[in-house]
Amino acid sequence: MKRRAIASFFIAAAITLNGCMSTRQSALDATGIEARSILHLWWFFLILLGTIFAIVMILTLGALLRRQPASERQFVEQHHTPPQERERKLSRMVSGAGVITGLILFALIVISVITGKSIAPSGASNALLVTVHGNQWWWYFSYDNDDASKIVVTANELHIPVGRPVLIRGTSLDVIHSFWVPNLMGKRDLIPSRITEEYLTADRPGRFRGQCAEFCGLEHAKMALWIIAEPPDQFQAWMNQQLQPSVAPDDPDKQRGLQVFLNHECIFCHNINGTPAHGQVAPDLTHLASRSTIAAGTLPNTKGNLAGWIADPQRIKPGNYMATVPLESGDMQPLVDYLESLK
Amino acid sequence: MTPTRTLELSGLPRYDISNRDPLFFGQVLLCCIEGSMFCILMAIYFYLRLSVDVWPPPGVQLPHVTAPTIALVPLFLSALGSYWASQGAKKNDRPAMLVGMIGNLILGFIFIGLRYREIATLNFKWSTDAFGTITWTILYLHTLDVIADLMMTVVLTVLIALNRYGPKQRIGVHVDSVVWYFLVAIWIPMYFVLYWGPRWVGTP
Amino acid sequence: MSTLAELPSPQLAAELEAEHQALRRVWNDRGGFWGWFSVTTHQAIGMRYIVTAFIFLLLGGVEALLMRFQLARPENTLLGPDLYNRIFTTHGTTMMFLFAVPVMEGMSVYLVPLMIGTRNVAFPRLNAFGYWMYLAGGLVLYGAAFFNALPNAGWFSYPPLSGPQYSPGKGVDVWAQMITFTEISAMCVAVEIIVTIFRMRAPGMSLNRIPLFCWGSLVQSFMVIFAMPSVMIASTVMLLNDRTIGTHFVNPAEGGDPLLYQHVFWFFGHPEVYIIFIPALGMISSILEADTRRGVLGYPAIVLSQVATAFIGFGLWVHHMFATGLPQIGEAYFTAASMMIAITTGIIIFCWIATLWSGRLRLTTALHFVFGFLFIFVIGGLTGVMLASIPLDLQEHDTYFVVAHFHYVLIGGALFPLFGAFHFWFPKFTGRMINETLGKITFWMLFIGFNVTFFPMHILGLNGMTRRIYTYPVEMGWGPANALATVGACIIALGGILFIANVLNSRKNGKVAGSDPWQAGTLEWAAASPPEPYNFVRLPVVNGRYPLWLPAEERAAVTGMRTDKREILITASVDAEPQFLHVLPSTTIWPFLAALGATIGLVGSILTFSWYYVAVVLAGIGLLGWFWPRRPLEQEG
Repeated sequence: MKRRAIASFFIAAAITLNGCMSTRQSALDATGIEARSILHLWWFFLILLGTIFAIVMILTLGALLRRQPASERQFVEQHHTPPQERERKLSRMVSGAGVITGLILFALIVISVITGKSIAPSGASNALLVTVHGNQWWWYFSYDNDDASKIVVTANELHIPVGRPVLIRGTSLDVIHSFWVPNLMGKRDLIPSRITEEYLTADRPGRFRGQCAEFCGLEHAKMALWIIAEPPDQFQAWMNQQLQPSVAPDDPDKQRGLQVFLNHECIFCHNINGTPAHGQVAPDLTHLASRSTIAAGTLPNTKGNLAGWIADPQRIKPGNYMATVPLESGDMQPLVDYLESLK
Repeated sequence: MTPTRTLELSGLPRYDISNRDPLFFGQVLLCCIEGSMFCILMAIYFYLRLSVDVWPPPGVQLPHVTAPTIALVPLFLSALGSYWASQGAKKNDRPAMLVGMIGNLILGFIFIGLRYREIATLNFKWSTDAFGTITWTILYLHTLDVIADLMMTVVLTVLIALNRYGPKQRIGVHVDSVVWYFLVAIWIPMYFVLYWGPRWVGTP
Repeated sequence: MSTLAELPSPQLAAELEAEHQALRRVWNDRGGFWGWFSVTTHQAIGMRYIVTAFIFLLLGGVEALLMRFQLARPENTLLGPDLYNRIFTTHGTTMMFLFAVPVMEGMSVYLVPLMIGTRNVAFPRLNAFGYWMYLAGGLVLYGAAFFNALPNAGWFSYPPLSGPQYSPGKGVDVWAQMITFTEISAMCVAVEIIVTIFRMRAPGMSLNRIPLFCWGSLVQSFMVIFAMPSVMIASTVMLLNDRTIGTHFVNPAEGGDPLLYQHVFWFFGHPEVYIIFIPALGMISSILEADTRRGVLGYPAIVLSQVATAFIGFGLWVHHMFATGLPQIGEAYFTAASMMIAITTGIIIFCWIATLWSGRLRLTTALHFVFGFLFIFVIGGLTGVMLASIPLDLQEHDTYFVVAHFHYVLIGGALFPLFGAFHFWFPKFTGRMINETLGKITFWMLFIGFNVTFFPMHILGLNGMTRRIYTYPVEMGWGPANALATVGACIIALGGILFIANVLNSRKNGKVAGSDPWQAGTLEWAAASPPEPYNFVRLPVVNGRYPLWLPAEERAAVTGMRTDKREILITASVDAEPQFLHVLPSTTIWPFLAALGATIGLVGSILTFSWYYVAVVLAGIGLLGWFWPRRPLEQEG
């Protein structure tokens, strides 16, 4: 009985750990329905085309290594062409190879189009609608809702319910970006003045990293995002939390932090619901502490990292548009304490 | 390994004032390049047109159709001048070449004058919006090509007038006429695209 | 009129010597400082293209090494983001515009007149002008480095990133205008190659007898004619004007569309890679014919496949835009076309394998590079088939998988044939044999180095590494593969250095080659090594596809042409019946002056639009000097 309990404990721990550990940002680690469709197609292509490659290489090496009969060698040396019969046979084989190539390619076209249809936006009625705006160099997300009071705005980290299709509908507010989370789905460009769409559906809980896949300027390399897939009840809990206004500061230290925030340029760019800060051009900070990274996936979200970021954003992401706001000594700690309380 | 059989060709003509000359082929290819450019510009016109609902945008007038339509007359007549000059070049008929080229130049400059008047009365610039951009671009590039060819014709006219010419320059006169035919011909679809397309298809 | 006559040997030898002396006098380029700027012979200009392009290859290679050193370790600090972005942009721009296309053009300019049995290209002054414009374009791009104005928006510069708002400064303007230079140069070469091949072939060389290399040059030249205007429109008319004079082609705020740029650019961009690749196919055919001792199997099939590839190549461009959300049905057509083009290239490869099976192989360095091409290019072609499938492309687009793919097809499909061609035609260019042992070592270093560098990139791409990133976190796990790729890049560099050393040494110390060291079949091997500036004392008359493989009795030559002028023969376009004689221009500095005038104006136009008019005026003056008739005028009648 005790042994069983211990075993169950370890199994549960392993499963939990696996769920907590981030998955490799890889198309080969397909954890979504669409990504898995693509991965199956990939294996089919790889095996088929790999075989063709091997055949072609064997034929090529064969030409190199074979022992040619002396009579044939002399004939070619003299006439600069092989005997007619051989030439005809080879020509037929070339034609045959051409036909086979055509047929294989035709099959590949058909199977690609079928897969393409299966992953395309199809108007699933229970889809969760998420709007994405690409910015240099961060991601704006909003969960759309007909009821305006139920719209959730966040940045750089997206939570989604397991098993439910998510419609990612996006555009860019500056240059072309591309939304890509390989574990879940292929990429979709975000183009100013256009709206593009794709579906993704996680079929297991997990944490999935993505990053911008269209060169967008100086810090294109540091424009990552996280998608957290959770069981539906956990997701709903997260949504409810996000709908709350910001956590009010509950001690003098954090109150001082809020004052520091409001007294500096921070409010020109950032928004914190429930405070006078309503800037719209930078990530929404209302629930900053509920996110696992800062600066679009560049650093883990800890007090130390946040302080370093605020003190000198240009050192971490040179060229990004966050101003370096000089603070008086003694202001940084309360500010960071306050911001890290915004769960 | 020197071959011992020979093909004696010293009796061949030293030139051929016709479409067989390499210069003619080269010029046709240059016209293919320019033609590709204009075709892509026309495709861009349709792309931009089809990506908006209202064309031209409010506040911008379509270019007037009278001036460019009248301008077609000197344009087509000038091609006759080119033809006359080209025929003169083939026959080494100096007066015909001069008459043809001068006629072409006069009518060509009349066309340019009318084009200039038309551009001066447009109520939009290339920086107004996409409609202004593509309309100005097509007009500007075609005008530039026409002026370039007129300059070439001026030089040839001067050479023929000064009697400083041989077969090579006569080939030049012939090939110059081909360029002019191209510029006239390529204008026809662009004329319809710029002035009539938006009027016929119209704004919804 | 025209007669076929037999002449006895000693008299023949004396006549030929006299003709040779006279032709040399007439065809020799003027020496001296100004003479260097007045050259109009195709061998000299072709060699200038090749050497200049090779220098740009080295510069592009240095840029690649810098990138590889930065990426060898995660979170490396060798290059910051700004410098890295400028370097990868310059690397791509250099390789595509300043190396790949010009080197192929240079090979065509050098070899085509020799292969078709004439003395020069159809428009020698245009040839010179094209070279100067190319050189100027390269100098403009690299000169910008001194003004901190290297472009930094990628080699295809997508707006809005490359637009006035997000790329202030002159970098992208320099990029856009450099393209004007290189594209004018490419169009000059294309025009003259087409006219040369159609109008100046040796008598008897009907179109079905021209070497496959010439077919490759011909097809490529037509592609340049119809594709290059598109890049001029995208870069100069659309992007540069949006940046400098406020047009709205790609500005969404005023009715423009960033996707329009992508369409117009890739309408050029896809044919561009075939413009680079198809001449390489011609090189492979030439090498194979000499090193298998037989004419390539399926000559008509290869010709038709090249032509079909060119046509289909114009219909593929949207496969660069699969992630942009275009309508599915349209995209499916481009999938089909992108896969179907594998049939045409596949047929060519199958013909070559059949040629290898049935020929008598001679394992020269050049043939090594042919085998290397087969291995590398087929991999590249197959990953291309993968990328043509939209679902797969949605994962692989803009990742290192694509970087791997295009390096496999470009290096495998163009650079390896090119290196094979360098080793193959080295005796013709220099008169000496290149060291075969060193050549084979070069091959293995390049082959191994290349695969070690680029194969891991397929896996990196699938594992999420996107393109054009200056660094990556250590947690991603991409470090080891990147380090391996950097090692490979160093091996490639060493191979390149060995090649240069081999070339320089063999030029001085290689065995003297003679006209035809490979006992090959095509006409360039009948000329001296290196060729006299007039190529052949008497223009050949051709009776088959491989004139030099015909017995001596079946060979003939043209007599009666003038040796006191640069006279060549014009023949009919299809069946090469002699039509008339034609005198080509001699040395002249006007093409250089016209190019100089155009350059001054175009460089100015990077700063102010009105300098375009300066370009027109100065180039116009140059053209006036170029075409002004010199006395004595050619006689009438």
